[in-house]
Amino acid sequence: MAKTYDYLFKLLLIGDSGVGKTCILFRFSEDAFNTTFISTIGIDFKIRTIELDNKKIKLQIWDTAGQERFRTITTAYYRGAMGIMLVYDITQEKSFENIKNWIRNIEENAAADVEKMLLGNKCELNDKRQVSKERGEQLAIEYGIKFMETSAKASINVEEAFLTLASDIKAKTEKRMVLYKVFLFNQCLLLQEANNPPKGGHQLKLTEIRTKDSWLSRCSLL
Amino acid sequence: MTEVDNFTEQIINDKNKTNVRCQFCNSLMLKALEGKYCEQEIDVPLMEQKKDSAVDSLNTETLRHFWQIDDMMTFENIGFSHTVDGRKFLVCADCERGPVGYHELATKRCYLALQRVVHSDK
Repeated sequence: MAKTYDYLFKLLLIGDSGVGKTCILFRFSEDAFNTTFISTIGIDFKIRTIELDNKKIKLQIWDTAGQERFRTITTAYYRGAMGIMLVYDITQEKSFENIKNWIRNIEENAAADVEKMLLGNKCELNDKRQVSKERGEQLAIEYGIKFMETSAKASINVEEAFLTLASDIKAKTEKRMVLYKVFLFNQCLLLQEANNPPKGGHQLKLTEIRTKDSWLSRCSLL
Repeated sequence: MTEVDNFTEQIINDKNKTNVRCQFCNSLMLKALEGKYCEQEIDVPLMEQKKDSAVDSLNTETLRHFWQIDDMMTFENIGFSHTVDGRKFLVCADCERGPVGYHELATKRCYLALQRVVHSDK
Protein backbone atom coordinates (compact mmCIF):
# COMPACT_ATOMS: atom_id res chain seq x y z
CA MET A 1 0.00 0.00 0.00
CA ALA A 2 1.25 3.48 -0.79
CA LYS A 3 2.47 5.57 2.11
CA THR A 4 0.07 8.31 3.04
CA TYR A 5 2.66 10.53 4.72
CA ASP A 6 5.87 12.31 3.85
CA TYR A 7 7.96 11.86 6.97
CA LEU A 8 8.11 9.65 10.04
CA PHE A 9 10.02 10.91 13.07
CA LYS A 10 10.70 8.97 16.26
CA LEU A 11 10.83 11.27 19.26
CA LEU A 12 11.85 10.59 22.88
CA LEU A 13 11.20 12.35 26.16
CA ILE A 14 14.18 12.33 28.55
CA GLY A 15 14.75 13.79 32.00
CA ASP A 16 14.63 13.02 35.73
CA SER A 17 11.70 11.20 37.31
CA GLY A 18 8.91 13.51 38.36
CA VAL A 19 9.59 16.37 35.98
CA GLY A 20 6.32 15.68 34.21
CA LYS A 21 7.52 13.88 31.08
CA THR A 22 4.68 11.45 31.33
CA CYS A 23 2.19 14.30 31.67
CA ILE A 24 3.58 15.93 28.54
CA LEU A 25 2.73 12.80 26.59
CA PHE A 26 0.08 11.07 28.65
CA ARG A 27 -2.56 12.15 31.09
CA PHE A 28 -3.50 9.07 33.11
CA SER A 29 -6.75 9.68 34.83
CA GLU A 30 -8.85 7.60 37.15
CA ASP A 31 -11.64 8.25 39.58
CA ALA A 32 -11.90 6.95 43.12
CA PHE A 33 -13.91 3.81 42.40
CA ASN A 34 -13.07 2.66 38.95
CA THR A 35 -9.79 2.43 37.21
CA THR A 36 -9.54 2.19 33.51
CA PHE A 37 -7.83 -0.91 32.19
CA ILE A 38 -5.37 1.31 30.36
CA SER A 39 -4.18 3.23 33.42
CA THR A 40 -3.27 -0.13 35.01
CA ILE A 41 -1.05 -1.39 32.22
CA GLY A 42 0.21 2.00 31.01
CA ILE A 43 0.88 3.49 27.61
CA ASP A 44 4.00 2.64 25.65
CA PHE A 45 3.95 5.17 22.82
CA LYS A 46 1.69 7.31 20.69
CA ILE A 47 1.37 8.07 17.03
CA ARG A 48 0.42 11.60 16.10
CA THR A 49 -0.03 13.17 12.71
CA ILE A 50 0.86 16.79 12.09
CA GLU A 51 1.17 18.93 9.00
CA LEU A 52 4.04 21.32 8.29
CA ASP A 53 4.44 23.21 5.00
CA ASN A 54 1.88 20.91 3.35
CA LYS A 55 3.89 17.85 4.36
CA LYS A 56 2.22 15.16 6.40
CA ILE A 57 4.42 14.08 9.29
CA LYS A 58 3.89 11.09 11.55
CA LEU A 59 5.38 11.39 15.01
CA GLN A 60 6.02 8.30 17.09
CA ILE A 61 6.55 9.57 20.64
CA TRP A 62 8.04 7.46 23.44
CA ASP A 63 8.28 8.01 27.16
CA THR A 64 11.03 6.36 29.22
CA ALA A 65 8.38 4.67 31.40
CA GLY A 66 10.39 5.12 34.60
CA GLN A 67 13.58 3.53 33.25
CA GLU A 68 15.38 6.74 34.14
CA ARG A 69 14.96 5.95 37.84
CA PHE A 70 17.53 3.20 37.45
CA ARG A 71 19.75 5.06 34.99
CA THR A 72 19.25 2.19 32.60
CA ILE A 73 18.43 4.20 29.52
CA THR A 74 20.53 2.47 26.96
CA THR A 75 21.34 2.39 23.30
CA ALA A 76 18.26 0.25 22.59
CA TYR A 77 15.92 3.02 23.73
CA TYR A 78 17.73 5.64 21.69
CA ARG A 79 17.87 3.51 18.52
CA GLY A 80 16.34 5.28 15.56
CA ALA A 81 15.47 8.38 17.58
CA MET A 82 15.59 11.55 15.51
CA GLY A 83 14.49 14.01 18.18
CA ILE A 84 14.78 14.24 21.95
CA MET A 85 12.88 16.47 24.36
CA LEU A 86 15.07 17.11 27.41
CA VAL A 87 12.70 17.93 30.23
CA TYR A 88 13.35 19.48 33.64
CA ASP A 89 11.02 20.80 36.32
CA ILE A 90 11.36 24.56 36.99
CA THR A 91 10.52 23.89 40.67
CA GLN A 92 13.32 21.30 41.05
CA GLU A 93 16.86 22.70 40.82
CA LYS A 94 18.32 19.17 40.78
CA SER A 95 16.37 18.19 37.67
CA PHE A 96 17.87 21.22 35.89
CA GLU A 97 21.41 20.36 36.99
CA ASN A 98 20.92 16.81 35.75
CA ILE A 99 20.20 17.98 32.21
CA LYS A 100 23.99 18.02 31.69
CA ASN A 101 24.14 14.34 32.67
CA TRP A 102 21.28 13.50 30.33
CA ILE A 103 23.03 15.25 27.47
CA ARG A 104 26.15 13.18 28.20
CA ASN A 105 23.97 10.04 28.21
CA ILE A 106 22.53 11.05 24.86
CA GLU A 107 25.99 11.72 23.42
CA GLU A 108 27.11 8.26 24.53
CA ASN A 109 24.07 6.36 23.29
CA ALA A 110 22.13 8.23 20.63
CA ALA A 111 23.01 9.12 17.06
CA ALA A 112 25.39 12.08 16.97
CA ASP A 113 23.04 14.20 14.87
CA VAL A 114 19.87 13.69 16.94
CA GLU A 115 17.90 16.94 17.22
CA LYS A 116 17.48 18.10 20.83
CA MET A 117 15.25 20.62 22.57
CA LEU A 118 15.17 21.78 26.21
CA LEU A 119 11.86 22.08 28.07
CA GLY A 120 11.36 23.71 31.48
CA ASN A 121 8.11 22.08 32.54
CA LYS A 122 5.55 22.99 35.23
CA CYS A 123 5.77 26.71 34.39
CA GLU A 124 2.30 27.14 35.91
CA LEU A 125 3.93 26.77 39.35
CA ASN A 126 5.67 30.15 39.26
CA ASP A 127 5.51 30.66 43.05
CA LYS A 128 7.60 27.51 43.57
CA ARG A 129 10.09 28.31 40.86
CA GLN A 130 13.74 27.44 41.56
CA VAL A 131 15.12 27.78 38.04
CA SER A 132 14.74 31.11 36.27
CA LYS A 133 13.74 31.22 32.63
CA GLU A 134 17.05 32.98 31.85
CA ARG A 135 19.08 30.04 33.17
CA GLY A 136 17.10 27.68 30.94
CA GLU A 137 17.72 29.92 27.95
CA GLN A 138 21.42 30.18 28.81
CA LEU A 139 21.85 26.40 29.04
CA ALA A 140 20.09 25.92 25.73
CA ILE A 141 22.41 28.46 24.10
CA GLU A 142 25.42 26.60 25.57
CA TYR A 143 24.32 23.42 23.84
CA GLY A 144 23.08 25.19 20.73
CA ILE A 145 19.54 23.86 21.10
CA LYS A 146 16.09 25.43 21.35
CA PHE A 147 14.29 26.14 24.61
CA MET A 148 10.73 26.57 25.80
CA GLU A 149 8.95 26.69 29.12
CA THR A 150 5.92 24.40 29.13
CA SER A 151 3.02 23.42 31.31
CA ALA A 152 1.55 20.03 30.59
CA LYS A 153 -1.07 20.72 33.25
CA ALA A 154 -2.19 24.04 31.78
CA SER A 155 -1.49 22.97 28.18
CA ILE A 156 1.02 25.76 27.62
CA ASN A 157 3.51 25.34 24.75
CA VAL A 158 3.35 21.52 24.68
CA GLU A 159 2.03 21.30 21.15
CA GLU A 160 4.25 24.18 20.05
CA ALA A 161 7.29 22.35 21.42
CA PHE A 162 6.54 19.21 19.41
CA LEU A 163 5.88 21.27 16.28
CA THR A 164 9.17 23.12 16.72
CA LEU A 165 11.18 19.93 17.20
CA ALA A 166 9.45 18.23 14.25
CA SER A 167 10.03 21.28 12.07
CA ASP A 168 13.77 21.32 12.91
CA ILE A 169 14.11 17.61 12.13
CA LYS A 170 12.25 18.14 8.86
CA ALA A 171 14.58 20.99 7.85
CA LYS A 172 17.62 18.86 8.69
CA THR A 173 16.24 15.89 6.76
CA GLU A 174 15.46 17.98 3.69
CA LYS A 175 18.89 19.58 3.75
CA ARG A 176 20.44 16.13 3.89
CA MET A 177 18.29 14.95 0.99
CA VAL A 178 19.60 17.81 -1.15
CA LEU A 179 23.18 16.92 -0.22
CA TYR A 180 22.50 13.28 -1.03
CA LYS A 181 21.08 14.19 -4.42
CA VAL A 182 24.16 16.30 -5.15
CA PHE A 183 26.31 13.36 -4.10
CA LEU A 184 24.38 10.98 -6.39
CA PHE A 185 24.57 13.48 -9.19
CA ASN A 186 28.34 13.68 -8.85
CA GLN A 187 28.62 9.91 -8.76
CA CYS A 188 26.57 9.71 -11.93
CA LEU A 189 28.75 12.30 -13.55
CA LEU A 190 31.87 10.28 -12.75
CA LEU A 191 30.27 7.06 -13.99
CA GLN A 192 29.16 8.70 -17.18
CA GLU A 193 32.61 10.04 -17.84
CA ALA A 194 34.23 6.69 -17.05
CA ASN A 195 31.89 4.83 -19.39
CA ASN A 196 31.88 7.37 -22.19
CA PRO A 197 35.17 9.23 -22.27
CA PRO A 198 34.54 12.51 -24.03
CA LYS A 199 35.50 12.33 -27.66
CA GLY A 200 36.65 15.18 -29.78
CA GLY A 201 36.99 17.39 -26.73
CA HIS A 202 33.24 17.44 -26.11
CA GLN A 203 32.62 17.69 -22.40
CA LEU A 204 29.24 16.83 -20.98
CA LYS A 205 27.89 19.94 -19.38
CA LEU A 206 25.74 20.17 -16.27
CA THR A 207 22.81 21.59 -18.21
CA GLU A 208 22.90 18.77 -20.71
CA ILE A 209 22.70 16.14 -18.02
CA ARG A 210 19.91 17.91 -16.20
CA THR A 211 17.70 17.69 -19.24
CA LYS A 212 18.26 13.97 -19.60
CA ASP A 213 15.60 13.04 -17.11
CA SER A 214 15.35 9.34 -17.81
CA TRP A 215 19.06 8.93 -17.52
CA LEU A 216 19.15 10.82 -14.22
CA SER A 217 16.33 8.86 -12.70
CA ARG A 218 18.11 5.63 -13.62
CA CYS A 219 21.16 6.88 -11.81
CA SER A 220 19.32 7.72 -8.64
CA LEU A 221 18.26 4.09 -8.38
CA LEU A 222 21.88 2.95 -8.10
CA MET B 1 -20.28 4.33 20.01
CA THR B 2 -21.52 2.70 16.81
CA GLU B 3 -24.39 0.22 17.15
CA VAL B 4 -24.02 -3.26 15.64
CA ASP B 5 -27.12 -2.75 13.47
CA ASN B 6 -25.47 0.16 11.71
CA PHE B 7 -22.20 -1.58 10.82
CA THR B 8 -23.09 -2.51 7.24
CA GLU B 9 -23.67 1.10 6.26
CA GLN B 10 -20.14 1.97 7.44
CA ILE B 11 -18.55 -0.38 4.93
CA ILE B 12 -17.82 0.48 1.33
CA ASN B 13 -15.75 -1.90 -0.83
CA ASP B 14 -14.63 -3.66 2.36
CA LYS B 15 -13.21 -0.37 3.72
CA ASN B 16 -14.39 2.20 6.26
CA LYS B 17 -16.63 4.68 4.46
CA THR B 18 -15.97 7.60 6.82
CA ASN B 19 -13.34 8.79 9.28
CA VAL B 20 -13.07 6.83 12.52
CA ARG B 21 -13.07 8.87 15.74
CA CYS B 22 -12.98 8.53 19.52
CA GLN B 23 -16.49 8.19 20.94
CA PHE B 24 -15.57 10.40 23.92
CA CYS B 25 -13.47 13.27 22.58
CA ASN B 26 -13.94 12.96 18.79
CA SER B 27 -10.19 12.71 18.21
CA LEU B 28 -9.44 11.56 14.65
CA MET B 29 -8.02 8.03 14.75
CA LEU B 30 -8.26 6.73 11.19
CA LYS B 31 -9.10 8.38 7.92
CA ALA B 32 -11.76 7.02 5.58
CA LEU B 33 -10.83 4.00 3.43
CA GLU B 34 -7.70 3.20 5.48
CA GLY B 35 -9.10 0.19 7.34
CA LYS B 36 -10.19 -3.17 5.95
CA TYR B 37 -13.33 -4.71 7.40
CA CYS B 38 -12.85 -8.10 9.05
CA GLU B 39 -14.82 -10.39 11.32
CA GLN B 40 -13.32 -12.48 14.10
CA GLU B 41 -14.27 -13.33 17.67
CA ILE B 42 -11.83 -11.67 20.06
CA ASP B 43 -12.08 -11.03 23.78
CA VAL B 44 -11.23 -7.42 24.48
CA PRO B 45 -11.04 -5.97 28.02
CA LEU B 46 -13.88 -3.65 28.97
CA MET B 47 -13.10 0.06 29.12
CA GLU B 48 -14.14 0.20 32.79
CA GLN B 49 -12.70 -2.32 35.25
CA LYS B 50 -13.35 -2.86 38.93
CA LYS B 51 -10.67 -1.10 40.97
CA ASP B 52 -9.32 -4.31 42.58
CA SER B 53 -9.20 -6.47 39.45
CA ALA B 54 -5.74 -7.57 38.42
CA VAL B 55 -4.59 -7.65 34.82
CA ASP B 56 -4.95 -11.46 34.74
CA SER B 57 -8.56 -11.42 35.94
CA LEU B 58 -9.95 -9.03 33.39
CA ASN B 59 -13.54 -8.33 32.63
CA THR B 60 -13.76 -8.76 28.90
CA GLU B 61 -16.37 -8.90 26.19
CA THR B 62 -16.29 -10.68 22.85
CA LEU B 63 -16.08 -8.34 19.88
CA ARG B 64 -16.64 -9.47 16.30
CA HIS B 65 -16.32 -6.52 13.93
CA PHE B 66 -13.00 -4.81 13.30
CA TRP B 67 -11.13 -2.51 10.95
CA GLN B 68 -7.84 -4.18 10.10
CA ILE B 69 -4.85 -1.87 9.70
CA ASP B 70 -1.64 -3.52 8.46
CA ASP B 71 0.76 -0.64 9.13
CA MET B 72 0.41 1.19 12.45
CA MET B 73 1.61 4.40 10.83
CA THR B 74 -1.64 4.49 8.89
CA PHE B 75 -3.36 5.85 12.00
CA GLU B 76 -3.78 9.60 12.32
CA ASN B 77 -3.67 9.63 16.11
CA ILE B 78 -3.56 6.58 18.38
CA GLY B 79 -1.91 5.33 21.57
CA PHE B 80 -0.38 1.91 22.24
CA SER B 81 -0.38 0.29 25.68
CA HIS B 82 2.46 -1.79 27.07
CA THR B 83 2.46 -5.40 25.89
CA VAL B 84 0.20 -7.99 27.55
CA ASP B 85 0.42 -11.56 26.19
CA GLY B 86 1.74 -10.56 22.79
CA ARG B 87 -0.78 -7.76 22.31
CA LYS B 88 -0.73 -4.02 22.77
CA PHE B 89 -4.07 -2.33 23.29
CA LEU B 90 -5.10 0.69 21.27
CA VAL B 91 -6.31 3.84 23.04
CA CYS B 92 -7.35 7.31 22.04
CA ALA B 93 -4.23 9.49 21.70
CA ASP B 94 -6.04 12.46 23.22
CA CYS B 95 -8.28 11.30 26.07
CA GLU B 96 -6.64 7.88 26.50
CA ARG B 97 -9.90 6.02 26.82
CA GLY B 98 -9.74 2.45 25.64
CA PRO B 99 -9.07 -0.22 24.65
CA VAL B 100 -10.60 0.56 21.27
CA GLY B 101 -8.80 -2.38 19.72
CA TYR B 102 -5.47 -4.15 19.78
CA HIS B 103 -2.15 -4.58 18.03
CA GLU B 104 -0.83 -8.08 17.47
CA LEU B 105 2.96 -8.14 17.84
CA ALA B 106 3.40 -11.37 15.85
CA THR B 107 1.66 -10.08 12.70
CA LYS B 108 2.18 -6.34 13.38
CA ARG B 109 -1.46 -5.83 12.44
CA CYS B 110 -3.86 -3.55 14.27
CA TYR B 111 -7.55 -4.19 14.82
CA LEU B 112 -9.91 -1.35 15.68
CA ALA B 113 -13.30 -2.45 17.08
CA LEU B 114 -16.24 -0.84 15.26
CA GLN B 115 -18.28 -1.04 18.43
CA ARG B 116 -15.88 1.11 20.44
CA VAL B 117 -15.48 4.04 18.06
CA VAL B 118 -17.68 6.44 16.15
CA HIS B 119 -17.86 6.81 12.38
CA SER B 120 -18.10 10.43 11.34
CA ASP B 121 -16.29 12.72 8.96
CA LYS B 122 -16.66 15.70 11.29
